[in-house]
Amino acid sequence: MSLFRRTASLLLAAACMLGLPAGAIAQQKPEAITIGYLNLVNAQLVTKALGLHEKAGIPIKWVKFGSGGDMNRAVAANQVDFGGVGNPPFTIGATRALPYKGIFVLNMLGPVESLAVRSDKNIKSLKDLAGKTAAAPFGSTTHYLLIAALREAGVNPTDVKLIDLSPSDAVAAWLRKDIDAAWIWEPNLDKIVKNGGEIFLTSGEMAKRGYPTWDVGVVMNDFAAKYPDQVVAYVKAECESIDYWLKHPKETVEIIAKELSLPADDAERMMKGTTMVPCSEQLSANYLGTPGKIGKFADTVLATATFLKEQGRLPSVMDRAGYAAYIDPSYLQKALAK
Amino acid sequence: MSALDAAREEADAATRPPPTRPEQAPRRWRALFSRARILTALTTLALFAAWWLATRYALVNPLFLPSPKAVWDAFMRTATEGYQGSLLHQHLIASLYRVLAGYVLACLVGIPLGIVMGLSRDVKAVFDPLIEFYRPLPPLALYTLIVMWLGIGDASKVALLFLAALPPLTISSMQAAASVDARYVKAAKSLGAGPSQLFRHVFLPACLPGICTGMRISLGFTYTVLVAAEIVAATAGLGWMIWDASKFLLGDIVIMGLFVLAITGMALDSLIRLAERALTPWRFR
Repeated sequence: MSLFRRTASLLLAAACMLGLPAGAIAQQKPEAITIGYLNLVNAQLVTKALGLHEKAGIPIKWVKFGSGGDMNRAVAANQVDFGGVGNPPFTIGATRALPYKGIFVLNMLGPVESLAVRSDKNIKSLKDLAGKTAAAPFGSTTHYLLIAALREAGVNPTDVKLIDLSPSDAVAAWLRKDIDAAWIWEPNLDKIVKNGGEIFLTSGEMAKRGYPTWDVGVVMNDFAAKYPDQVVAYVKAECESIDYWLKHPKETVEIIAKELSLPADDAERMMKGTTMVPCSEQLSANYLGTPGKIGKFADTVLATATFLKEQGRLPSVMDRAGYAAYIDPSYLQKALAK
Repeated sequence: MSALDAAREEADAATRPPPTRPEQAPRRWRALFSRARILTALTTLALFAAWWLATRYALVNPLFLPSPKAVWDAFMRTATEGYQGSLLHQHLIASLYRVLAGYVLACLVGIPLGIVMGLSRDVKAVFDPLIEFYRPLPPLALYTLIVMWLGIGDASKVALLFLAALPPLTISSMQAAASVDARYVKAAKSLGAGPSQLFRHVFLPACLPGICTGMRISLGFTYTVLVAAEIVAATAGLGWMIWDASKFLLGDIVIMGLFVLAITGMALDSLIRLAERALTPWRFR
């Protein structure tokens, strides 16, 4: 009898477990959402601090990543539902068929990412970097821009000793005078500037030269297929915090300062280095575009892919349509319509 | 079971007198086809077959598990054209230099230190807290500090590998020295052995098996830290190659690198085992 009971209860438990996903689909609500966010200055810190995602009553797990490359690895391992990556990691992810889509513009990168050089090394042009040591986190926006800038200036990137350092390691190496230049982002960029560095070239200037860099919010395909309404709600909350950033700069400074443990002045300066695009503008041809007519982002991705292929970091490149398929503005459209 | 326990257990086992074995030489050729070897070969074959089938019928995303052929192609490509400016053997040499430099330094420091700690309670009391303090620290956590102290060059990488190699060496040497059978010492002394003779003819041979075991464990440890050591500012090395390729999601390069790491690791281990046979022949008689 007891054996029968045990078997029955086991079967029942198994049935319940099997039934779980079905029930979840019916409710359109996941049990928990994991959000991967980048350790940099953008409105996601506001969303996090104001608890905008938590309002829906679904437990949120925030996971901080040092760079987009790390985020890609987490995505490949299916460890996050939402994430944020710069255009090179996004390009790598798309080319290697990672199961995600770019759904909204986190931010455009301006002086928040910059090439800083040692003031006492008398570096007047990029050509002076030849023979010097320069650091950037490989596979990130800044690695891409550093090589692009060197090539534009007619410097062979192999003449510069390029080394792969995460922003925090770059600061350590800078303090020890192991490196002469570093292209990294705030808040670590600031530590370099304050210790004998000067800004030489910003990501914003590179954008004007035709190398725009941006961070895009991504969602995993599986999650989006199961919970499309949650994705819309997510984008809506992110838009809300972008608006908050634009409308309440003073409060935002306080939030950023607190989230990154910085003095308010530094937070304010760093905020000025990053450009927030109001969600209503994100659907224009300059950014995501609209479903079926993807905007300039697809061109950036294609250009980045071509570049990475030349660098031997990507085995192949897709066409523009292939990359456009990785950008899905439909959730943003719905979020704005509601 | 922690590595320490393993080291202790193996060291204990190694210092026990070996059981007397019947003469095996005539049967040696049979050992080639022994049950154990056939089973080992079957495991390897089954793993490869499973790998091949999983990729052949696209059971897994090729991004996560590239096919054996893709990995082989990556191997040939890296060996002939290189990965990011260095050919495969250059990556291998860069890594082997770092591992061996750290490891040999650790042997030079750790083995004598361990023996002295095993023989003298005072010396043990002095060094034990130091080693026990940093032994459980994860290498990556230590690494940022080491980079700040020693820079981003090879010095910091070798230092990290040295620190990883040291504890197993010291602890196993200490155990080996401490557990030398007192009867041997008494017997040698009663026959009139002086301190240097005692060391050469009693302590050293009695300790060697334990030390050799410690050397093998330590080499394995050092190897596992290699990737961590090469994450910061390396431009060549197997660990760096794997790390860099993983950033660009180049799974074929990653798996190829793992194979090269595993095979060189096994080769180094068998070198130590050969040395063990040469140094302590009585254990293998």
